[in-house]
Amino acid sequence: MELSIGWLYPKLMSTYGDRGNVICVQRRCQWRNIGVSIIPLDREADSAQFSKVDIIVGGGAQDRQQEIVMRDLQGAKAAAFRNKIESGTPGVFTCGSPQLLGRYYEPALGQRIEGLGLLDLVSKHPGIEANRCIGNVVFEITATPLAKELQALWDEDPIIIGFENHGGRTYLDSVQPLGKVIVGYGNNGEDKTEGAFYHNAIATYSHGPLLSKNPFITDWLIKTALQIKYQKEINLSKLDDSVAIAGRKAMLQRLELSQLIVTK
Amino acid sequence: MQLVDRIRLGLAVGVAKTVTGMVKMLRLGAASVLPGEISRRLHPRLLPLMFEQVKQGVILIVGTNGKTTTSLLLRTILEDQGYRVTHNSSGANLINGLITALLVDTDLTGNLNVDYAILEVDENILPLVLKDCQPKYILGLNLFRDQLDRYGEVDTIAQRWQKAIAPLPTDTTIVLNADDPTLNYLGQNLTQKVLFFGLSEPNLYLEEIPHAVDSIYCPSCGTLLNYQGVYLSHLGDYECPSCGFAKNATAIDSKDWGQILIGVYNKYNTIAAGLLAQEFGIAKPDIFQTISNFKAAFGRAEELTIDDKQVRILLSKNPVGMNETIRAVNDINKTKEAAVTLLVLNDRIPDGTDVSWIWDVDTEQLVATGGKLIVSGDRFFDMALRLQYSCEQIGAENTNFELIIQEDLGAAIATSLELTKKEETLHILPTYSAMLEVREALVGRKIL
Repeated sequence: MELSIGWLYPKLMSTYGDRGNVICVQRRCQWRNIGVSIIPLDREADSAQFSKVDIIVGGGAQDRQQEIVMRDLQGAKAAAFRNKIESGTPGVFTCGSPQLLGRYYEPALGQRIEGLGLLDLVSKHPGIEANRCIGNVVFEITATPLAKELQALWDEDPIIIGFENHGGRTYLDSVQPLGKVIVGYGNNGEDKTEGAFYHNAIATYSHGPLLSKNPFITDWLIKTALQIKYQKEINLSKLDDSVAIAGRKAMLQRLELSQLIVTK
Repeated sequence: MQLVDRIRLGLAVGVAKTVTGMVKMLRLGAASVLPGEISRRLHPRLLPLMFEQVKQGVILIVGTNGKTTTSLLLRTILEDQGYRVTHNSSGANLINGLITALLVDTDLTGNLNVDYAILEVDENILPLVLKDCQPKYILGLNLFRDQLDRYGEVDTIAQRWQKAIAPLPTDTTIVLNADDPTLNYLGQNLTQKVLFFGLSEPNLYLEEIPHAVDSIYCPSCGTLLNYQGVYLSHLGDYECPSCGFAKNATAIDSKDWGQILIGVYNKYNTIAAGLLAQEFGIAKPDIFQTISNFKAAFGRAEELTIDDKQVRILLSKNPVGMNETIRAVNDINKTKEAAVTLLVLNDRIPDGTDVSWIWDVDTEQLVATGGKLIVSGDRFFDMALRLQYSCEQIGAENTNFELIIQEDLGAAIATSLELTKKEETLHILPTYSAMLEVREALVGRKIL
């Protein structure tokens, strides 16, 4: 078995360590002897390359880079990408890339950047004087059917631990939120929602990177991608996640959320 | 200076000196910031007035990496020639820290008796300083991504520098790194006297462009830049295929120069300080003499001997800096003179609270060389995960390197020293606050 990871604009959208998400998927495939390749979906990539990926990973960008990406992601490329998301290709999109998938993003300075309109949400930067939303974030995944599928993989409530660092605020319309904030700002610091979930696309403000301390999401991406590609039920072998588990425990303790620690 | 200014300045200095004395007497710290704050309240134009009194002029040093080492080298070159120099202590690079540094050499009548003042300035503070102060020289070392939680974006910082420098007198000398496209572009758009430094040594090119790059797009037209080669991060020899923007000719031939300490990044620091020193009229052989005798600043490739073992501390606070320290450590490990590395990751305010940046570091290179890697610090689990995910094989199948996780820093240092053989060097890669803790543990005193 083998998978191709499509990495959305690695040269333009790699501002906050989100390459880590690509590394996590890649390694957890390699550790299970699943063949894996990384396809950079950069400005040089054409729509055929967008069409052949099994998992899509996207990170955050500076405002200027975000504009370059939006100018490039048009026509056949945009159609291929849209088709991927609509047909259920699993993906994880952090920080800037959900803004890209939404209806539009209004940066602190300059013109509104139109998004692909795949996710029914809008993002706005309240101005350069406004505080950034920065800090450790903990949220529980509530989206259906994702929450149930993760529970089956991890054997406990899907609590996400990450770090948020965003100026923009996101407001959801009809799209369902990814989860409910326990500690942190989430989408906008107002309505306790965090991220969005659409078909199999996970959108979130959580860096850290997201997949490093939440390995069950990585495994969900791999399992979902393999099931779509090979059209059969896939059961992944267990990996030794003792470092991630200990790291999660330490962070929950530090944030005074010991009640969320599950002892197996 | 008007008499009334002089009296107020003297008063401010007197109060500040009393505060400094009290802070030191009460052992509250090294008094690197508080006196500045108090005296600034007593005299709001204190900093510009002090700038005017520095005989040969004030030198501002800005950039993400290398400020402290470059300042220390420049200071040593000048002092070796008999000049009186003042310099702000490491970490005190906001306005109050600058004032405090200058106050040390100011007497109670407001006279500042130094030839040169070398001031490290935080990249975000430069525009604020230039609002009412006029330095004679500004040295721009580089602009990398650092502490995104505080500052945001490299592009924005460069634009703000340009705006702030533009109104300065045309005889101000601006020394810039031509290998950094953002700074080279800045230099092309200034009316002041601009001198460029940079490397002209293709034998130092990296084999591939590292991941942690910030601005490989043309700062003028936005096209992807063509690199003939990269020295580190996005520093290299480049040109724009679209608008013709290219690296300027440098005022120094790096091939003629040796360097301080280890690593390509210290070659940059050496030629930057060297070019400025030449500009001050100091002869090359005298500069070379200082370079060959130079000792490191705290925690910047600083070498210590502990229990007959060599320890080298290499501050690693952002992706570019850490990639370069890994490169330097690997070069030494390959000669079999070192095999143990201690990584200490903290997430306090001086470190930046967001540790996601470690995933932009090419730790794969460190793991590939092998040896024993010990991790500690506030976020030791994050670093342990980063190293684990640097390997294609996991667990018992991976015999190349050994990962040792030790939360307690004292225990981690003890273990690391124990594992280091007598003739070998232990390398310690800490973030900023971790570096202070490591030094305290090793030499028994704090520096700030």
